[in-house]
Amino acid sequence: MTLLVIAAFVAAYVLIATERIHRVAAALWGAGAMVVLGAVNAESAFFSEDTGIDWNVIFLLLGMMIIVGIVKQTGVFEFIAIWSAKRARGRPFRVMVMLVVLTAVASALLDNVTTVLLVAPVTLLVCERLGTSPVPFLLAEAMASNIGGTATLIGDPPNIIIAGRSGITFNDFVINLGPIVVLLMIVFVGLAWLLWGRKMQVDSERAESIMELDEREAIDDKRLLVLCGVVLLLVLAGFVLRPLIGIEPSMVALLGAGVLVALSRSRPSVYLHDVEWPTLVFFAGLFIMVGALVKVGVIETVGQWAAGLIGDNLVVAHSALLIGSGVLSGIVDNIPYVATMSPIVEQLVSSTGDPTLWWSLALGSDLGGNATAVGASANVVIIGIAARNGVRISFWEFTRYGLIVTAVTLLITWAYVLLRFAP
Amino acid sequence: MRAIDITEQHPMVDESTDALEAARLMARLSLPGLVIRGDAKHPYTVLPASQVLRFVIPAYVQEDPALARVYGERAADLMASKLAGRTIGEVMPARRELSAVPRVNHDDTLIEVCAVMASFHSPMVVVGRGAEIVGTITIRRLLEVLFPDAGAAPDEQAPA
Repeated sequence: MTLLVIAAFVAAYVLIATERIHRVAAALWGAGAMVVLGAVNAESAFFSEDTGIDWNVIFLLLGMMIIVGIVKQTGVFEFIAIWSAKRARGRPFRVMVMLVVLTAVASALLDNVTTVLLVAPVTLLVCERLGTSPVPFLLAEAMASNIGGTATLIGDPPNIIIAGRSGITFNDFVINLGPIVVLLMIVFVGLAWLLWGRKMQVDSERAESIMELDEREAIDDKRLLVLCGVVLLLVLAGFVLRPLIGIEPSMVALLGAGVLVALSRSRPSVYLHDVEWPTLVFFAGLFIMVGALVKVGVIETVGQWAAGLIGDNLVVAHSALLIGSGVLSGIVDNIPYVATMSPIVEQLVSSTGDPTLWWSLALGSDLGGNATAVGASANVVIIGIAARNGVRISFWEFTRYGLIVTAVTLLITWAYVLLRFAP
Repeated sequence: MRAIDITEQHPMVDESTDALEAARLMARLSLPGLVIRGDAKHPYTVLPASQVLRFVIPAYVQEDPALARVYGERAADLMASKLAGRTIGEVMPARRELSAVPRVNHDDTLIEVCAVMASFHSPMVVVGRGAEIVGTITIRRLLEVLFPDAGAAPDEQAPA
């Protein structure tokens, strides 16, 4: 049966990676195959922490999606983005830097997919005003969202999966990944200048048209804005204070969503509008597929094999995880990659006794997502928004810049990881 | 009463029609929509006037209404100039996103006309006789016939 389970897993994975069918259908197909093969039953799929759906991940995502759906109604992102563009006096590269920094920070505090959904439309507006191509701006924002989202537990879906499997807290993410993310963002701004900024032309008349935009008009319900601000702060405080209050991030997010829904008096059609049900189902399918591999012992075997190769050489372990994850996450979506790798890394952590290996997986998969157009969900989303607005970003256009950014950021991160975690 | 009895003659436009000209045509004739003809000169869809507004508003503003509010007065006024020099075919949605043309037969009853308009959410239907198109029926004309005694409401009447 083990061979059949591996074959079904590989087949579903190929379908996800090649997008021959929709990834949700592929994940459900894979999960269904595991049930038919007898590797999964209701007990293992729904109630087991080791082999089942990680409900903490699903409900953390659901809670944050509901919160963001209501926050989105306030127009605060539009306000901040246009305010930033006006502070940059309409100079294209300065505008790009402002938007990129906004994207990175918002990605860390919310999640990177939602952030690009919010920032891309306003970017298109600003670029239309500037009379400049939005492509460099959108590419830079997708990449900044993947870098910024790396800093926190909720910033990038792979981090949520890693936290679910490892028990790593929000604070651990910020303390261990925050410093390198700040450094990478500084480097990324420099790269953005070399890749796009130095070729940008300033048109003073166009720049002046940015100043005509009135960002205050974007906000028409100040009560909702204040309410959302307070609830978001409380939710972030809940994540940070987990060691003291002992409430799981998923519960904090759901509580925040519940409070916001009740106090904002939003209708279900509003607060459920931005819930990406396909993504949640995709996660559930993946967890069942990977759970089947765990149950039949494949993950344990691979983990032992990897542990044998690495021995107690942490430099090799960190390097292999970071670079390997970076390369593979560029080829396949980093969500299924991390879902598969997490139980393997759990084994490695157990055998080496070094929990810092989780950071190499997180950094490699998050930053590797920048390499290609399909490496991370944020890339796919931003390319889709561009296409709906008549702006074509081809796979190769994304990838030729993405490879440069990924190579530079991974190299710097490699040095950071070796210095900090494997001295 | 049959569909043919309330059929009117309104100009149809082609995909190659100038978009600005088409918008002006709708305003001049108070049309609730436009009948679009395809390559074979047969209508293949009706674009309601509200959909035509999509031509002048960027998709990102349609997706994020908060952005519509940040435009200044001058920018909003200039928005219509985006139509200049473009054709209907260039600004309209892809064919696969359009519903088929709402069509009634010349001898259909008014209740059948109402049913087609309602099911297509269209303020205009094309009237056909076999393969031939004999005209269009607008929602305004249909309501005039359905409620002939409506007249002017009391508060709309001129003071004595």
